[in-house]
Amino acid sequence: MYGFEALTFNIHGGYLEAIVRGYRSGLLTAADYNNLCQCETLDDIKMHLSATEYGPYLQNEPSPLHTTTIVEKCTLKLVDEYKHMLAQATEPLSTFLEYITYGHMIDNVVLIVTGTLHERDVQELLEKCHPLGMFDSIATLAVAQNMRELYRLVLVDTPLAPYFSECITSEDLDDMNIEIMRNTLYKAYLEDFYRFCQKLGGATAEIMSDLLAFEADRRAVNITINSIGTELTRDDRRKLYSNFGLLYPYGHEELAVCEDIDQVRAAMEKYPPYQSIFSKLSYGESQMLDKAFYEEEVKRLCLAFEQQFHYGVFFAYMRLREQEIRNLMWISECVAQNQKSRVHDSVVFIF
Amino acid sequence: MQSSENGVESRNEVAEGEQHILNFLDSVDSYLILMDSLSSALRQGWLELASARHSMGASRVNCALFDLKSHHASTTVQVNNDLPHFKLCKWASSDDPEKYSEEGKFEEDELFQNKSDGPRHRHQELQEKRTEEGGASPVGTDNQIQKLFLQAQKERFKTLSMFGTLVSPKLRATQLSFETALEMLVEISNTRASLLHAYDQVQKDRTNPK
Repeated sequence: MYGFEALTFNIHGGYLEAIVRGYRSGLLTAADYNNLCQCETLDDIKMHLSATEYGPYLQNEPSPLHTTTIVEKCTLKLVDEYKHMLAQATEPLSTFLEYITYGHMIDNVVLIVTGTLHERDVQELLEKCHPLGMFDSIATLAVAQNMRELYRLVLVDTPLAPYFSECITSEDLDDMNIEIMRNTLYKAYLEDFYRFCQKLGGATAEIMSDLLAFEADRRAVNITINSIGTELTRDDRRKLYSNFGLLYPYGHEELAVCEDIDQVRAAMEKYPPYQSIFSKLSYGESQMLDKAFYEEEVKRLCLAFEQQFHYGVFFAYMRLREQEIRNLMWISECVAQNQKSRVHDSVVFIF
Repeated sequence: MQSSENGVESRNEVAEGEQHILNFLDSVDSYLILMDSLSSALRQGWLELASARHSMGASRVNCALFDLKSHHASTTVQVNNDLPHFKLCKWASSDDPEKYSEEGKFEEDELFQNKSDGPRHRHQELQEKRTEEGGASPVGTDNQIQKLFLQAQKERFKTLSMFGTLVSPKLRATQLSFETALEMLVEISNTRASLLHAYDQVQKDRTNPK
């Protein structure tokens, strides 16, 4: 099953695994979250975060603070850590680390294309892009009128090029086509990442298969729920599901025909790992589904650190930091809107 | 004989004056209830928007995605000289020249479940009471109501498509909250007009005592 990674992993990956485990120990604890949840203002949040690893990134921000500022600065910390690891990595770890950012690249491409369709200024859109998903020719995306041009002018030289084979058409870009493009690209990216991890083999393949399969299944559920009542046909919906994961293929067949949340629940409860997630929800309710999925994801990501000599720790760390930033965003919004009673609706504790 | 007639007349005038004061106080009460409801609806809407942003990601829900192209207004307000001065026409289709009437809106609201108690509940009672007093009954057959509902849903999805066509149910809930807030705003405007009218009546009675 495993490839005796203990013999050779530390030659190239030992230093960075130690680095990422050090980064992991800097994640906010339950005590930190308790302090943050009791803050009255965003300046209080800044004061509490100054005692954490986010301190240097927030200390120079003037008052009054905004929630987006807190999120931006915390994201900058993640980007700096990622760039440090990428700079030190050798193959195949460097390719693995790059794969982690392709999701953000897809989001940035869709943001630029959608914003351009809505006649927004490109500079304004570039400021909203996620820093982990930036690439050199991203601003040129604003020129394209359809997907063929998008591919030919810009994306052919980016890592996303292989993912475009399924969605190159000459149709003009509109809201529906852009949405289908987003989900088709993400599907292709997940499948490609999955294949890459399988090729790496050993503990990396074992652990990453589980994490990516969960991601694929969660995406399938979200696509199903979000497309209920829309013009997306069943066939189009089925085409957006990834071709791997616990739900593939029979779960996907059931999800494709679901018309409401209760039918989704009925389809998912046949799979034991998801039965526990849906048991937390009452019938007809989908508001807490996101939190339930995040909690399950965090559990699986933390388990990745229980084992050594694999690349899954890097993926797990990046995802845990993103979850932490989401938590900070939610806490900041609740404090800013004076809705502290709702703060525990969406905070997922990592430790 | 004449003195008794005068007595009856003055009693009638006093009763009318008291009625004007009661109308004024009722209008003030309705106004305060509506302001409270508006505040709740807006708070809920903003938190739901934050929740949608948390769920879908900041790159999918942000102001940079607002559509700056000129497009048909899906909701308009008609201004009349008579009371009620303001009438909301929601989710008028750009393809279909027929617009929603206020009665149709009332039917559509019945198809949605109420989300919160308290001021919203009292506001509902107020609306029902007004309907009973006015003698107006919801118009349209079931088919027409269903058609109106589907049309409204279609326009809602169209408006929300600036954030993408597959959006989270949280964003749709946000849209409903702000839609409710908009209805309340129009109702507040009408109530304020009634309040000012009632106040004028009371002032007239005070300045011209009979």
